[in-house]
Amino acid sequence: MRIELIKGTLDMLVLKALMAGPAHGYAIARWLEDATDDALRVEEGSLYPALHRLERRGMVESDWGYSENNRRARYYALTRAGRKWLREERAAWGVFVAVVAKVMAAPV
Amino acid sequence: MKRRLDRYAGLTSRLDRDRSDEDIRDELEHHLESRIGEYVAAGLSRESAEREARRRMGDMDRYAEETARVDAMRGRERWRRERLSGAVRELKRSVRSLTRSPWFSMAAVVTLGLGLGATGSVGTLLDRVVLRPLPYSQSEDLVWVASRVNGLGVDGQWGLSVAGYFDYRAQASSLSDLGGFVGTAATVSGERAAERVPAALVTSSLQNVLRFRPVAGRLFTESDDVAGAAGVVILSHSFWQRRFGGDAAIIGRTIDVNASATEVVGVLSPGDGLPDAEADIWLPVRFDPSAQPVNSHFVSAIGRLSDGASVTSAQLELDRLTARFPDAFPTAYSPSFMEEAQFRADVVPLRDQVLGDSARLLWILFGSVALVLVIACANVANLFMVRADVRRREAAVRSALGGGRADLAVHYMTESLVVALAAAVLGVAMAWSIVSWLPGVVARDIPRLAEVRFGGAGIGLIGLTAVLAGVVFGTFPLLRMPHDSSALLRDGGRGVSGSRRQNAVRGVLVAGQIAVALTLLVGAGLMVRSYAKLRAVDPGLEPERVLTLELNLPFRTYGTWESTYTFHRSLIDRATSLPGVESAATTTVLPLAGPGPCASMYIEDRPQDAASQPPCLLYRLVSPGWFDVMGIEVDGRAPGWEDADGRSGAIVVTAATARLLWPEGGALGRGARGNGDQPPFYRVSGVAGDIRGNGLDAPPTEEVYFPLLPIEGAPLWSPPRAFTLAIRTAGPDPLSVMPAVRSIMAELDADVPIANVRTMEAVVAQSTARTAFTLLLLAVAAGLALMLSVVGLYGLVAYVVSQRRGEIGIRMALGAQAGQVTRMVVGRSLALAAAGIALGLILTFASVRVLRALLFDVSPTDPLTFAAVSLLLAALAVGASWGPARRAARVDPMEVMRVE
Repeated sequence: MRIELIKGTLDMLVLKALMAGPAHGYAIARWLEDATDDALRVEEGSLYPALHRLERRGMVESDWGYSENNRRARYYALTRAGRKWLREERAAWGVFVAVVAKVMAAPV
Repeated sequence: MKRRLDRYAGLTSRLDRDRSDEDIRDELEHHLESRIGEYVAAGLSRESAEREARRRMGDMDRYAEETARVDAMRGRERWRRERLSGAVRELKRSVRSLTRSPWFSMAAVVTLGLGLGATGSVGTLLDRVVLRPLPYSQSEDLVWVASRVNGLGVDGQWGLSVAGYFDYRAQASSLSDLGGFVGTAATVSGERAAERVPAALVTSSLQNVLRFRPVAGRLFTESDDVAGAAGVVILSHSFWQRRFGGDAAIIGRTIDVNASATEVVGVLSPGDGLPDAEADIWLPVRFDPSAQPVNSHFVSAIGRLSDGASVTSAQLELDRLTARFPDAFPTAYSPSFMEEAQFRADVVPLRDQVLGDSARLLWILFGSVALVLVIACANVANLFMVRADVRRREAAVRSALGGGRADLAVHYMTESLVVALAAAVLGVAMAWSIVSWLPGVVARDIPRLAEVRFGGAGIGLIGLTAVLAGVVFGTFPLLRMPHDSSALLRDGGRGVSGSRRQNAVRGVLVAGQIAVALTLLVGAGLMVRSYAKLRAVDPGLEPERVLTLELNLPFRTYGTWESTYTFHRSLIDRATSLPGVESAATTTVLPLAGPGPCASMYIEDRPQDAASQPPCLLYRLVSPGWFDVMGIEVDGRAPGWEDADGRSGAIVVTAATARLLWPEGGALGRGARGNGDQPPFYRVSGVAGDIRGNGLDAPPTEEVYFPLLPIEGAPLWSPPRAFTLAIRTAGPDPLSVMPAVRSIMAELDADVPIANVRTMEAVVAQSTARTAFTLLLLAVAAGLALMLSVVGLYGLVAYVVSQRRGEIGIRMALGAQAGQVTRMVVGRSLALAAAGIALGLILTFASVRVLRALLFDVSPTDPLTFAAVSLLLAALAVGASWGPARRAARVDPMEVMRVE
C-alpha cells in the first residue's frame, strides 16, 4: 500500500534518516525505503527542495563530496539545531498519534 | 564548509545563479544516475531503468526550479545579514575612532548640537505660532471685525459699538455669522476662596462662530443672551479641572460669580477658547439691541465668512454699511466724527490679527539662528577637513593596500553621520528644554504660546538638518582624497599644493563666518541701542518704590457712588497710616498697563457743533494724592480731599490734552464734561506733565483725570469699582508692605479679591518686555555667532602656523626677526578678518532694513553700531591670532631644518 505523506512530516523523516550519519539525497531515499520496507514512496525529486529548505533553516549543513562510485555528490549532515528540532518533532508526533488513536478507539 | 559570498556579488549576480543552478542539476543527476545504476544492477535494461528512475524522481525540472528558489531566498537572507553586520561593524569602528579623538568629537558634536538646538527651538516656535492655522475648525474663514480710526491714536483700531455690532450682524451678507465679546475679569467665590479670574462676556453667536463643542452641558442660546434671563455661566476646561476637580456633576450646580448665584450650564472642550486670550469663565454679554446707540467702542468681534465671500468683499460691504451710520445712528455717529476719526470698518483675517507683528519677529529670529547654524556648520566642516588631512597618510596606506575608495567613502560617511546623530540628540534635548522653559518667560510677547510644544516639527527639522550636514561633511574628505596615493606616501605627507587649496577654502569659510557674525552683531547692537533709548524715555512718572495691586468691588455690595467712594477713602486712610508708607491713592487705569476707556467729551467755550469737539479722550477716575504717589508733576493744583468730599468738580488734564484742546494756552479754569454739553462743567485745576501711558515708544497720552464722585448734574460713567491701589513706600522694597495691605483688605472687606500685585517698576519693565525679549534672543544668537567665528579663526590660524613651520624656520634662518614673523601672522589674520568684515558690511546693509520695525529711535544704518562692531571683530581677530603668532615667533629654525 502506497502511503501518502502528511504535509510537513517529510522534514522529520529526512532528519531521522540523517541520524545514521551524513548522506546524499539518494542515500536518504534508500534508507527511507529500507526502513519502511518500501512502503513509503515519495517523489524523490521533492527531497531536494526539502533538503535545501532544511539547510536554510539551519537544521542541516551540506558540502560537496565524492560518493561510493566516485561521483560528485552533495552530502548533508545534521546540525545541533537539527537534532534538537527532531527530538521535539518526534515528541509532538507521538502526542498526535496517541490523540488520533484515542479518538478512533472511542466508543460511539 | 561555508560558501564565501563576495560582498558585492550576492546571489543576484548572474554568474552565481548559473553556478548554483548547475550544482542543483548535478545533485539531481547524481540521484538519478544512482537509481538507474540500482535498476541496471537488478537486471533492467538501460532504457527501462532510466524510464523507471525518472518516473520515480518526478518532475525534475520543477524540483530543480523549486530548489533554486530556496537557494535564492537563502542567498538574499545571508546577503542582508552580512550587510547588517557590516554596517554594525562600520558603526562600531566609527565610534571607536571618534572616541580616540575626544577633542575633535566633542567640539564637533557640541558645536553642531548647539546650532541645531537653537534652530530647532525657534523653528518650533515659528511652526506652532506662525505657520499652523488657528485651532478652530476652518479657521481660514474667520475674520476679526473692528473699527478703523486712523485719525486717532497709535493703533488706529477700536472695537465695535453695540449698535455697530447689531447692524453688521443683521445686514452683512458676506458674514454668515458674527459674534461679539468683551474680555474682563470676574470674581468667583463659594466653597473655595474667592479668586479673580479672566472672564469672557460673549454673545451666543460667538460660540457658534468659533464652533465650540462642550464636553458637558450646552452652549449659550439666544434666550440666555437677553437681559433679565437667569444667570448662567460656562466654564473653560482648564478652570473646570482646576477649581472643581473635573467634577462631572458640575452641570446644574450654582456657583457665585461676582457675588450672584449663577448656574453652570456647560463646560468647554480643552481646545476651545478666545484666540490668544484666556478666559476661565464665560458669561452671556446681554447687549441690549434697543438701547440708545452710543459712541462707545468696546466690543471685540469675530465673524465667519459666508461661502464665496472674501476678506475684501466683506471689507467693502462693511464699509458700505458703516458709511450709513450717521443716518442710522445720529446720536452716536455724527458726520464730523466720522470724518475726524476717519471711521471705517476693519476686516482682518483672524490669524493676522492674532499674530500682529510677531510673525515678522519670529522670522527674523529664525533667520538669525539659521545663520548661527550655518556658522556652526562651517566650523564643524573645518574640523572635519583638518581631521581628514591629519589622516591623509592613513588613508593613503589603506588605499595602497587595496582598500578602495568606496570603503574609505563609507568610513568617512559613517563617522560624520555618527557625529551628526550625536549632535542631533543634543540639539533635540536642548530645543526641548528651551521650548518648555520659554512660556514662563515670554508669556506676554508671543501670541498662541499655549499651543507651543516641542514635537514632530522640531524633531524633523533637527533630524533632517543633521542628516544633511552629516552627508555634506562626509563628502569633504573624499573630495580631497589623493588619486595617486603612492606620491603621497613617497614624499612623507608634506605635499604643499593640496594643503594650499585647502587652506584657501578654509579661509573663505572663516571669512564667511565673520561676515555672518557681523550681521548678527550689528542686529544685536542696534537692538541694544533701541532698548537703551527706550528705557531712557521719561515715562512722566517716578516708578521707584511704588506698589500696585488691582481690586474689584462686587456690584452687589457697592452699587452706589457713595459706597464705592467710602471704600476708597477708608482704604487710602488705612494704607497711608501704615508704617513705611509715604502716600497712597487709587485710579481706574494704571499707566503703561493698557490705555483704558475713552469717551467723547464736550469742551466749554467751544462752538456747539460736533466738528470742534474731541471725538474720544482717555479718562480716569483718581483719588486725591494720585499725582503725589506717582511722582507726576502738576502745574497748578491737584485736587485734594476737600475737593473730593465737597464735589468741587476739579479735574486734571495732561499737557498733551491741554495742547490739543487749548493750543493757545490757559488750560487752567477751563470747563469740560462727558455725557452732556450743558453746564455744570468740571473745571481744570491743574495740568500734569506729559505721561507716556500707552508705552514708552508711543507719544504722550491725552488723558483727563476725574474725581471719584460726580458733581450733581454732570454724571461720570460708572463708579470706580474696578481700580488699582498704588502705594509709595519710604523703604526700597515696596512689596514688603503687602502683608499689611492684605490685612487691611481683610478688615475692610474679605470678599474683595486682590489681583496683579506688582511694583510700578515691574509695570514699566513689562511695557518694554517685547523689545527686551527680542534683544535677548538676538544678543544670544550674536554671542554664539561671535564665539564660533573667533574659535574658527583661531583654529585656522593655529593650524596654518603649525603647517608652515618649515617655511617660518627658513625665513628666520634667512634673517627674519621674531617681531616680523609675529606681524606676518597677525597681519594675515587681520586681512582675513577684514575680508570677512567687508563682506559682512555688504550683507548687513542689504538685510538690516528688515529690523527697522523693531527698532526705536535708531536708524538701521546707524554708523556708530557698524563701526563699533567692525572694530570689535578686528580686535578679536588680532587677539585670536596672538597665541599662534607668538608660537610662530618662537620657532627654532635649526630644529625645523633638521627635521626636514
